[in-house]
Amino acid sequence: MMKKLGMVKKLGKIIILLGLVVGLSACVSARIEESRKSTTEIAIDETLVILGRASYNDRETEESFTECLADALGNGPTPINIIPENQFKDQMYPWFEPRTAPSSSDDLAKLFAQPGVQDKINNSNVRYLAWIKGDTVTIDKGGSFSCTVSTFGGGCFGLTYWEQDASYEASIWDLKNMTTAGKISAEANGTSYLAGVIIPIPILARPGNAACKALAAQLKGFLISDGG
Amino acid sequence: MKLSILIGITLLLSSCVTNIVVTGTVPTPLIEKMPVRVAIYYDETFKEFVHSESLYGEGKWQIELGKQNLVFFRNLMSAMFETVVEVNTPELSAEDSSNFDGIIIPRIEKYGFLTPDISGLKFFSASIHYRISLYSNENEKLTEYAVVGYGKSEPGSFNASSALGHATMLAIRDGGTRISTELKLLPEVSQWLNESRVH
Repeated sequence: MMKKLGMVKKLGKIIILLGLVVGLSACVSARIEESRKSTTEIAIDETLVILGRASYNDRETEESFTECLADALGNGPTPINIIPENQFKDQMYPWFEPRTAPSSSDDLAKLFAQPGVQDKINNSNVRYLAWIKGDTVTIDKGGSFSCTVSTFGGGCFGLTYWEQDASYEASIWDLKNMTTAGKISAEANGTSYLAGVIIPIPILARPGNAACKALAAQLKGFLISDGG
Repeated sequence: MKLSILIGITLLLSSCVTNIVVTGTVPTPLIEKMPVRVAIYYDETFKEFVHSESLYGEGKWQIELGKQNLVFFRNLMSAMFETVVEVNTPELSAEDSSNFDGIIIPRIEKYGFLTPDISGLKFFSASIHYRISLYSNENEKLTEYAVVGYGKSEPGSFNASSALGHATMLAIRDGGTRISTELKLLPEVSQWLNESRVH
């Protein structure tokens, strides 16, 4: 009798957890803002370089984010010619390293005065640079989750969650006119869950990925259709 | 039986060592060459530099960076000076003094790294302390330039050893950035360049 009661209680807990898992769906909310300073249009033979703004502190744009952007912009129905970040940095070494990279478009004239820099840019047909800064951080986490294995079997039980905030900004420089053409910022927030109902069930929100897709779509529109 | 135990122990011990061979691209700097003829002496420690360190709870780490650093420096020096010749001794002979404007001796003084477990940050970081000594063609010390190259890399897209290897490569690159852009700005180097222009 006692054994039956225990099993019913255990089943009840599992049903409650299952209900929670079904009820929880990891959703991500994203927000985009754009400010344009000049008209932009990228020709079919011109290229874009996406660069992560590096720093020597503990936070900087993840390489995976700039790779995601390059992938999203370089593919699809209206692809843009992209020069990979590392290839561009090697070509322009040592002028786009963390300690030498121009911090604003006002520094471009000084950079182009360096021997060979202007020629390299012209030969590669680089028209725009998109400097990306920002990162994805975990702003909250909680819950408990554990898995056990015994001779009678094993399983996981519990619920844990973590909330992430992704905040990125693209500053677009026009190398032909040596100006800042505009800025686009993307913010996304989402909470991921890991529920243990015998087996672990992850429900993952990907705010970094959502920010990447949103920023890429906006950046493509910024460069392809002239917003005047 | 004894042999198999020995092999087992050896395998167990070797599994605790994280061995990293640093690799990466070697970009040619886009800089104006200094119009001088220099001899360069790389000592064996510089050529074969290996850093070994045991970390509590993380085993032994062995980072082989000498070979990649040498390739990087050879390319860097060729881009920095009009004529570069590698020599086998740290002093120029009387005969050589007329062929060169000076001799450069780069050294690695110190290498250090941090793992995310130690620093509490989410990346591996590496630093290389270089010392570049410049001597005249009469073996008189003109200046010494100490520079620290720094690099960091998240293990996200790499495993631990690859991330530290990448951080080390970035430190070499950073050191090269400083040397290629700052060395000629040193007053002693400027003076040496002015005096050496008239061969």
